[in-house]
Amino acid sequence: MAIQPLYRKKRWGDLPTALLFLLPSIVLFAAFNFYPMIDAVRLSFYKWDNLSVPPVFSGSSNYVKLFSDSRFWISLRVTFLYTIGVTVFSIVLGLLLAVALNQRWLALRSLWRTLAFLPVVTPTVAAAMVWILLFNPNFGYMNTFLSYLHLERQTWLSNVHLALPVLMSLGVWRRLGFTTIVYLAALQAIPQEYYESARVDGAGIWGTFSKITVPLVAPTTLMLITLGLIDSFLVFDQVLVMTRGGPADATLVVGVYLYTSAFTSFKMSYGAAISVVVLIIIATLTIMQWRLVGFGGSEMEELK
Amino acid sequence: MTAQLSTFPPRRRFNLSAWRKIRANLGTLLVLLPVIVVIVTPYLWMITASLKTRGHIGEPPYLYPTTFDFSNYQIALSSAPFARYFLNTIIVAVAVVLARVVIGGMAAYAFAFLKFKGRDVLFFLYLSTMMIPFYAIVIPLYLIIRDLHWFNTYQALIVPRMVDAFAILLLRQAFITVPRDYIDAARVDGCSHWGVLWRVVMPMSKSSVLTVIIFSFLFIWNDFFWPLLVANNDSMRVIQTGLQAFNGRYNVEWTYWMAGTVIATIPPILFFLVSQKQFISGLARSGLKG
Repeated sequence: MAIQPLYRKKRWGDLPTALLFLLPSIVLFAAFNFYPMIDAVRLSFYKWDNLSVPPVFSGSSNYVKLFSDSRFWISLRVTFLYTIGVTVFSIVLGLLLAVALNQRWLALRSLWRTLAFLPVVTPTVAAAMVWILLFNPNFGYMNTFLSYLHLERQTWLSNVHLALPVLMSLGVWRRLGFTTIVYLAALQAIPQEYYESARVDGAGIWGTFSKITVPLVAPTTLMLITLGLIDSFLVFDQVLVMTRGGPADATLVVGVYLYTSAFTSFKMSYGAAISVVVLIIIATLTIMQWRLVGFGGSEMEELK
Repeated sequence: MTAQLSTFPPRRRFNLSAWRKIRANLGTLLVLLPVIVVIVTPYLWMITASLKTRGHIGEPPYLYPTTFDFSNYQIALSSAPFARYFLNTIIVAVAVVLARVVIGGMAAYAFAFLKFKGRDVLFFLYLSTMMIPFYAIVIPLYLIIRDLHWFNTYQALIVPRMVDAFAILLLRQAFITVPRDYIDAARVDGCSHWGVLWRVVMPMSKSSVLTVIIFSFLFIWNDFFWPLLVANNDSMRVIQTGLQAFNGRYNVEWTYWMAGTVIATIPPILFFLVSQKQFISGLARSGLKG
């Protein structure tokens, strides 16, 4: 969009005002975004595993070590599994829930919607605490529930095969409200006539869902996928609280590996190398999102 | 469309009869209720467990309270400064929200209405910060805070969060929909750009401003990694790190844990219930992360 100048040019136009208006944000971005990012890249080429000794330049040695570090590959694999699981389940369940909530004649609609949204505003640490107890092998409700069904009780978070799915269930639980609300908004934008004429043509519930609903919310789905991948890839809180990456690295997501490398073992430069890899992955995903969906979802349509 | 439809023989309209309405309701609820039960179970369990007698947490294993032992709450409240954690969180949240609206509003105004060389490049630079994940900057940021001797201060929790590209983007998008004439008229009347921003543009972009406020608030309320690194003194902890520390001290005292968890969960949920309408429409509109 072209913007015409308001008043006729003083010599510098709007530049002095613009500088004044932009000064705080420029300073803050420079100091707390751009400088740290560049510094992280710089640090990743140094050897620095003791805070009291100055860093020493070491070329690409951190990266060489990183790419032959099996724990790093494990952490990438665990993070990808977590990310894909949480994104897919929260989107599928969110769409179903939104379709159910979108029925105009549904009893207690706003109550269901409010309940579905509560997890989004529940602090992650609080949710993680509840999960620890729900999945406690001795008295947790999940095992009680399995006993009702005459199934074998599980050790959940100390089981290498179940720990990650348990974490994913928390991720889906927290994200579901968000995907539901976004889908609800998308569904409400679909003209009611589409459904009516589909019924005239004799389409059933599944037919209208798969032929009308799913295709018409496809842009929303795309946005939720890219946003979901980025968000879930950066998971940290619940993993640190619930498992700290264990058992046997089964839940070692990248965030936790970065945290333990840099802030418990104080291998700062190694941590910096990990963070550069994360930066590349997330930047790629973000650019993908921008290309496919626009900057921030629906609001950005005009800017494209 | 209508003309086409009218060539059909008259059909009954699609108003559901009472009986069909009940049937459709039952069908939908059959799908909906199991999901809702799963969503609500953690809350029921949390409340139930927080009211159990110490050492008897899973007995009986129901999702509703059978005992009402409020002493867990007394112990939780007296052994950890939850009020302090809340106060700290609110101080940080209010400061960050204010800064994001003021600083972001100024930047958004410049990008929306002022003409200067390099504007588009600068705007793109701003937006590019959206693809820098927090992990990518956390180590140098930690070192900056260390060098400034800012550990365990409000500044450490506030200053690095004061500007947010997404807030600027949202505000700019709202600003450019303000009719040009309004701004010109105000300028002709001798209003400064600063005055136009606060008296014309901001009031006309209320819903976007509210969206920014809500998201910043939620972001601070859920913040964990950063406070964990820079504010570990008990008097400087925020709610998330405070809760974690409390549980670390009372390991395996499950009933205390759950009392503390309930205490930490109630305020954000109340905040949500009060601002629900704006919350949900803002979220749906922006399609931002939750």
